[in-house]
Amino acid sequence: MKRTQDRVSVLLLALFLALLLTLAPLPVALEPLRPYWVALVLIYWSLEVQQPIPLGAVFLLGLLLDVLLASLLGLHACSLLIMVYLVRRFRPRIRFFPPWQQALAVLLLLLNDRVILLWLSVLLGEPVPSWRYWLAPLVTTALWPWVFLALDQARLVRRQVGKH
Amino acid sequence: MRINPASVSAGAGQRRLNTARLLTYLLLAIALMALDQRGKLNAQLRAWSERAVAPVYALVDQPVRAAERLGDWSHSRETLTASQQAQREMLLLQAAAMQRLDALEEENRRLRALLGAAAGQEFSYRFAELLRVSLDPYSHQVRINQGSEAGVFVGQAVLDGQGVMGQVETVTSGQARVRLISDPDHALPVQLLRTGQRSVAIGVGDVGRLVLPNLPIQSDVRSGDVLVTSGLGERFPPGFPVAIVSEIRRDTGGAFLEVSAEPLAALDRGREVLLVTVLEVPEDNPASAPALEAEPAAPLENATGEDL
Repeated sequence: MKRTQDRVSVLLLALFLALLLTLAPLPVALEPLRPYWVALVLIYWSLEVQQPIPLGAVFLLGLLLDVLLASLLGLHACSLLIMVYLVRRFRPRIRFFPPWQQALAVLLLLLNDRVILLWLSVLLGEPVPSWRYWLAPLVTTALWPWVFLALDQARLVRRQVGKH
Repeated sequence: MRINPASVSAGAGQRRLNTARLLTYLLLAIALMALDQRGKLNAQLRAWSERAVAPVYALVDQPVRAAERLGDWSHSRETLTASQQAQREMLLLQAAAMQRLDALEEENRRLRALLGAAAGQEFSYRFAELLRVSLDPYSHQVRINQGSEAGVFVGQAVLDGQGVMGQVETVTSGQARVRLISDPDHALPVQLLRTGQRSVAIGVGDVGRLVLPNLPIQSDVRSGDVLVTSGLGERFPPGFPVAIVSEIRRDTGGAFLEVSAEPLAALDRGREVLLVTVLEVPEDNPASAPALEAEPAAPLENATGEDL
């Protein structure tokens, strides 16, 4: 019981940092390459931690992201819900992939997410974004190993601190 | 996080995923999106949620601003002197241009009085900075660091040094969200400066392009024409530059022109903006104090006090 709560504090901190990083300004040219930080944290958590994040919490987190980014309310909620669901669905398989295949799976998840977002925004009559739109998943995947290691480390430290 | 004892004892996280719950949340999200897209979402809800997240923006904005200030310190003496020199020259040039403008304005006022026409409007400007946060690059919105405490109101026109940027969409006490004119949902009533032809400049989701649909084929438009706000629609005061006509094509039907224009304001690169307030000038005596009955007095007086 105690340990689960400790872990939740790590998740909340990671998500908070991810939100700040999402909002941090980038040069105009790099703007479309912005990594999907929140998705990385959620993918890691759904893969490595056995307790699933409740879908309701994912939905609320998505809405929070929408409000912060001033995007269409529900857009990121949709995207994160589908992503977390897919990771949980294929978790037993992805978990035993070698690291590079895991990264590939993450890339596929992110590309799938972009397709869904594009489909939704076209459905709702928004303009089709430029080709740079498709570069963000690549950048995000490049960051995956580092996020993975950092979160692993954070959980380990938290657990050790919890023991004493 | 909710703990399900059954799944813990089951071990490997093999608990069946609740697809029904996923679908419910997805439907909810899609319904929200549809409502938001059509502008039917409760404005109060949006305002409330933005008030709740405003501190997060400040949390990102402050360190970035501090880093920029640190960067400013490290400029060498030579660059500073050079930029000061350049700015002094620019100020002189603009002051010279202003002298003529003052005379013209006075003449304009006299002529209007002779004609018995309504007096021209006067404006007060308030300086604001963009928050150093980046929103969804596809949403065409920015946040500024002035809010209702400074007299910012919903619908207020936002300019930069070159032209019209957009209008205020939501206001919290210390911040506001501005919708740019490049947003696909934004339409701005404009006028060709040269001919006076009226049209509407519509955003297409590209910061470098606006389109003017439905100009008749025989209308006199040339590449390089300047578009200014027409003041119709009453959101934007008339006469502010908006864009320069960049491309003219016939549409496929042949009855209308498809005109593209390039916005003058630095929509994606700006740092500072001006908020415009229209001051009502009494017709008989323009020199007397501006009438402020339309708006709450305190914020407006504050705004004129820091007039640029």
